[in-house]
Amino acid sequence: MPGVLPSFLDPAPWLTLARTAAPADVRRALNAAQPGETEFAALLSPAAGELLEDMAVRARELTRRHFGQTLTLYIPLYLSDYCSGGCVYCGFAADRRQPRSRLEHDEMIRELDAIKSMGFEEVLLLTGERTPHADLDYLRDAVAEASRRFAAVTVEAFPMAAEEYRSLSGAGAIGVTIYQETYEPVQYEQMHRWGPKRDYDNRLATPARVLEGGMRTVGMGALLGLSDPRFDTLCLFRHAMQLRRRYWQSGVSISFPRVCPQEGGYIPPFPVSDRYLAQIIFAFRICMPDVPLVLSTREAPGFRDGMAGVGVNKMSIASRTTVGGYQAAAESLDGQFHVNDDRDIESFCAMLRAKGLEPVFKNWDKVYR
Amino acid sequence: MNKLKLGGKEFESRLILGTGKFSSVEIMLEAIKASGAELVTVALRRFNRDRPSDDLLGPLTRLGITLVPNTSGARNAAEAVRAAQLGRELSGSSFVKVEIHPNPHHLMPDPIETYEASRELARDGFIVLPYMPADPVLAKRLEDVGCAAVMPLGSAIGTGQGLSTAEMVKLIIADSGIPVIVDAGLRAPSEAAAAMEMGCSAVLVNSAIAAAGHPAAMAAAFAIAVKAGYAARQAGLMSRGDHAVATSPLTSFLTGS
Repeated sequence: MPGVLPSFLDPAPWLTLARTAAPADVRRALNAAQPGETEFAALLSPAAGELLEDMAVRARELTRRHFGQTLTLYIPLYLSDYCSGGCVYCGFAADRRQPRSRLEHDEMIRELDAIKSMGFEEVLLLTGERTPHADLDYLRDAVAEASRRFAAVTVEAFPMAAEEYRSLSGAGAIGVTIYQETYEPVQYEQMHRWGPKRDYDNRLATPARVLEGGMRTVGMGALLGLSDPRFDTLCLFRHAMQLRRRYWQSGVSISFPRVCPQEGGYIPPFPVSDRYLAQIIFAFRICMPDVPLVLSTREAPGFRDGMAGVGVNKMSIASRTTVGGYQAAAESLDGQFHVNDDRDIESFCAMLRAKGLEPVFKNWDKVYR
Repeated sequence: MNKLKLGGKEFESRLILGTGKFSSVEIMLEAIKASGAELVTVALRRFNRDRPSDDLLGPLTRLGITLVPNTSGARNAAEAVRAAQLGRELSGSSFVKVEIHPNPHHLMPDPIETYEASRELARDGFIVLPYMPADPVLAKRLEDVGCAAVMPLGSAIGTGQGLSTAEMVKLIIADSGIPVIVDAGLRAPSEAAAAMEMGCSAVLVNSAIAAAGHPAAMAAAFAIAVKAGYAARQAGLMSRGDHAVATSPLTSFLTGS
């Protein structure tokens, strides 16, 4: 049985507008004092696509106002590629990729030291779905080691109970990223063939448990390409709004992972173009001006350069998506996804500075734990 | 021009600068120099001893002006107190801007936690400048626990909505025995001048300068506006009326009873 989309996330009342808004609706949305679902839907429309430059101008103005002329940098660290999930689109799915590996304690420390010496102060620790190789105890050990070295430690792993999140928070983690992948229940079931991740309802309730467990921020996203992007982004928008109202002392951030057709032979059923991805990001910035918007190295340099400081205020760089990738001399295996932006830190920062953006490595302090 | 007195120290300039949001450290330093500011706030979370190119503390220390570490990032009094202590240890400055905004989206200060942290830090010998909602009662409570000044917000951080709290700020100034410094929300130098004309002792500006087309030039413009507003206040503004008032009395011919 597929899961159930709760009524507080249902995008149905706005979907028609998202498909058929008139240019006048878009212009109203662009200038709205307090944009909500109606404005967000209008900005997702084909008519808004014709006004993409106007959206970009408005988005840049709001990004600057709330985040200044800065761009915060972070780096992911893949701890383990063991996985119990059967996601059709993922290079880490349980029926793919042998052999598997995880970082043992001493390897973990070497990887953490390697990325610390690159200058990073924010690290995102990743695992697959829960397995005995990478469970809560394993993750807590990694968080504790990372917290000794980095100002900010966040986690992207498997759905947990609130108490488990509290235990990671106690070890020093300040945030958790958990993507719904798609909010469309039938599509979700088809994409997640087996394993605990097949439980749509449980995954949907996870961001609330993250904040219930005392984390300061929850990172959210839909994996664009799996379902109608208008449906998914409207649900995502409503989900983020709901969490902000309920957990008023916590923050949400939004990421924009996208499945590209050329990756691992998987053809996404609803491919999202560069132009439409930009439109989605601008729509979020215009309607949630103070929410951090994040873009990873999954995207190509040209797209990232164009979005930096315009819609997006936080990016990863110099990422390896394989386990042990930071000490390895060369990339030996394809990771969870293909890194399209493989520039080093220096050239990336030079690009930011040329655009009048200050790269910020440290934007947090251990004292706030 | 009288000097601004804060925590037993005196300052010529009544413009305080925030140091976040600039497009580079060089541009930030140019703006500070152009502003003539002698006090700047800096977030503890932007101190980075491990990577000098990412650090704000080092370059600001070298300017030789007074640093006011802020506790931005703290959600409650306990975190703010810890941050203030670390900030004092690292910067050598006893000034602290207590900044506790638990909601990361609108960044409105928490009056209860701000009060608790300010009381504890004042007792611990800090020169405490609390960022606060424009609440006249809270302002007096903060004065009573030993704050060196109060910093009511003009409007929400980064919004550039100007002095939307003007009526409350006037009430704060009317009762205050310590300097009142408007912090946050100012967009234009004219708004800074208006705050000074109203009787503020200083203003704190960050976004309006950092996000300007030419930050150093805007910093200089704010400096002029703050001086003009302060001078106007000292000179004594004429009272506002609804009707025109003739410069020569119209009834002087009525000499008899």
